[in-house]
Amino acid sequence: MGQNQGLARVVGAIVLLGVAVGAEFGLEVLIADTAWRQLAMFAMVNVVVALSLNVINGMAGQFSIGHAGFVGIGAYTAAIVAGHVHVALGGGDPTFGNSFVVMPASILAAAIVSGIFGLIVGLPSLRLKGDYLAIVTLGFAEIFRLIIATSSPRAEEGTFAFYLAKLGGQQGYAGTDETGIVQYAGPFWIVGGMLLAIVICWRLKFSGWGRALRALREDEIAASAVGVDPTRYKVTSFVIAAVGAGIAGALLAGMRDGNPTVQPEQFNFMYSFDAITMVILGGSGSVSGAVLGGIFVTVTVRLIEQLQRLDAVQAFRVDHPDFDLNALRMVVYAAVLILVMVMRPSGVFGENEIIRPKPGRDVPPPTQRKGVRKAEAT
Amino acid sequence: MSGILEVSHLTKRFGGLVCVNDVTFSVPEGRIFGLIGPNGAGKTTVFNLVTGVYEFEGEARFAGKTLAGMRPSDIANAGIARTFQNIRLFGSLTVLENVLVASENRRKAHLGAALLRSALFFRDEAAIRDKAMRLLEVFKLDEVADEQPTSLSYGNQRRLEIARAMMLDPKLLLLDEPAAGMNYGEAEGLKEQIRWLRDEFQLTVILVEHNMQVVMGVCEEIHVLDHGETIAHGTPDEVKKHPKVLAAYLGEDIDEEAAGPASEVSA
Repeated sequence: MGQNQGLARVVGAIVLLGVAVGAEFGLEVLIADTAWRQLAMFAMVNVVVALSLNVINGMAGQFSIGHAGFVGIGAYTAAIVAGHVHVALGGGDPTFGNSFVVMPASILAAAIVSGIFGLIVGLPSLRLKGDYLAIVTLGFAEIFRLIIATSSPRAEEGTFAFYLAKLGGQQGYAGTDETGIVQYAGPFWIVGGMLLAIVICWRLKFSGWGRALRALREDEIAASAVGVDPTRYKVTSFVIAAVGAGIAGALLAGMRDGNPTVQPEQFNFMYSFDAITMVILGGSGSVSGAVLGGIFVTVTVRLIEQLQRLDAVQAFRVDHPDFDLNALRMVVYAAVLILVMVMRPSGVFGENEIIRPKPGRDVPPPTQRKGVRKAEAT
Repeated sequence: MSGILEVSHLTKRFGGLVCVNDVTFSVPEGRIFGLIGPNGAGKTTVFNLVTGVYEFEGEARFAGKTLAGMRPSDIANAGIARTFQNIRLFGSLTVLENVLVASENRRKAHLGAALLRSALFFRDEAAIRDKAMRLLEVFKLDEVADEQPTSLSYGNQRRLEIARAMMLDPKLLLLDEPAAGMNYGEAEGLKEQIRWLRDEFQLTVILVEHNMQVVMGVCEEIHVLDHGETIAHGTPDEVKKHPKVLAAYLGEDIDEEAAGPASEVSA
């Protein structure tokens, strides 16, 4: 049994790696249009965002509404690190080979910096519950965004404000030489990052750690009475969520075919809100749900923006300037959310998954045993 | 004297209300110890103080170590397990998972091993599951291991809570009204079970209970509280006859009735 398991894991790893490599060379063939390719990659980054938010909002049952802040910190950190590593490698066009130096470096840096901020914001979560924690996280994300957006380019050299202004303020950060962020995050990294995030979240959920989190969410007093330390579990899940968001930010900043700048406006409250929608729509605590939600929200939003660009719509708008499909996005959103909440109050998947993991015991579950008996009888 | 749990001058105030007032007792190792008293006597509060739910004044020592300032989870890991008066099971977890959670802080495979799904993780998980299933068998819950605890009968939920507590390998087990809601037969069974637990796992048991059938039948030493204060201490027979205990349970009139001629009993 052990050997089979080992073999299955090796095969699984090779398949995942194959998919990522295949995406690097095949995505341009598969999706020829740049805008749609960009949309697909953005959806995958959002899946990582949703998966990481799911750790804190879904699994741990805390309520963070400032997730965009962590994504933003990751994006800025990764953009800066990638730019410097790129120069150190000799510059030129980003190559797939060089991305194996640049991406690990920028992802690691983004994960660490976001993780540290996750710890700082996570610590008050011990004392704060529900709405109060939500306000802290929202405040954090807005502070981060506004500090960068309002930095003054006329600051004296050597001061903190001077270096802050180098991040480009409201205009956004456009790399070390202000010609755009080096874009090393090809489909390999985006697809690979998403697959890795799915595997990690799955393993987190179906481990003792995930079990303890669920217990903690149910009843904190009972959980601590059986040795589960609420502090440790809550802060750890906050940091894990922040690290995931940082990695998503790194992918977003360096995304090929994407926007070559990172702007503070990308990480406003709307983005945090989108992330929450992804988690709740798919089902809080469900890994499959976060994947579905991430894809659905991104595609719906962008699909409407793509429609707006269509010639027919533009022509129609000449006569009817009030007709704005982008504004409809909120209507679609709200309608879908209300529908889901009415029909499936705990999201599309609830806390379940598409496939149920095998119960790691030698004894088959009772339902299965019954099935076998029936099969023998007939 | 040195017991496994020593409580001295334990006091707890909630604002102006004194819930537990200067309570002192010592529980010798291996004893089945009863903590009784009328409603509101502060029995459950004593449990909450000893398990770290609230901070307290005075001193409480477990196996020689002070419990002051310790977090509930640390106290649980140190070897004090408890059940709750109003059953606190994890409703969305299965019966088996409820028990598994209790071993979370003991396991060798931590988060890293869980993420890598290393050999250690699988070995560890298998070992914990084996242990949990054995405990469920002991409490005759193995048949319902994959069901939600909310679908269990009241008595089974109580037993599951004890099974979960036992997963911690405790040295001291605090049972908060385990017989609540049980009928005569179930309560008799519970008495057997408590004795068996103590002998099998070399436990010390402290019992908060209103059911006198259970208390007098199983406890070897009883401590009586009323309005947060100690009113009696001794063997079941001593406590049963103690005038203050009778007064607390049956009303103050008892003293007058015993002293003077019987007053009118008509209602």
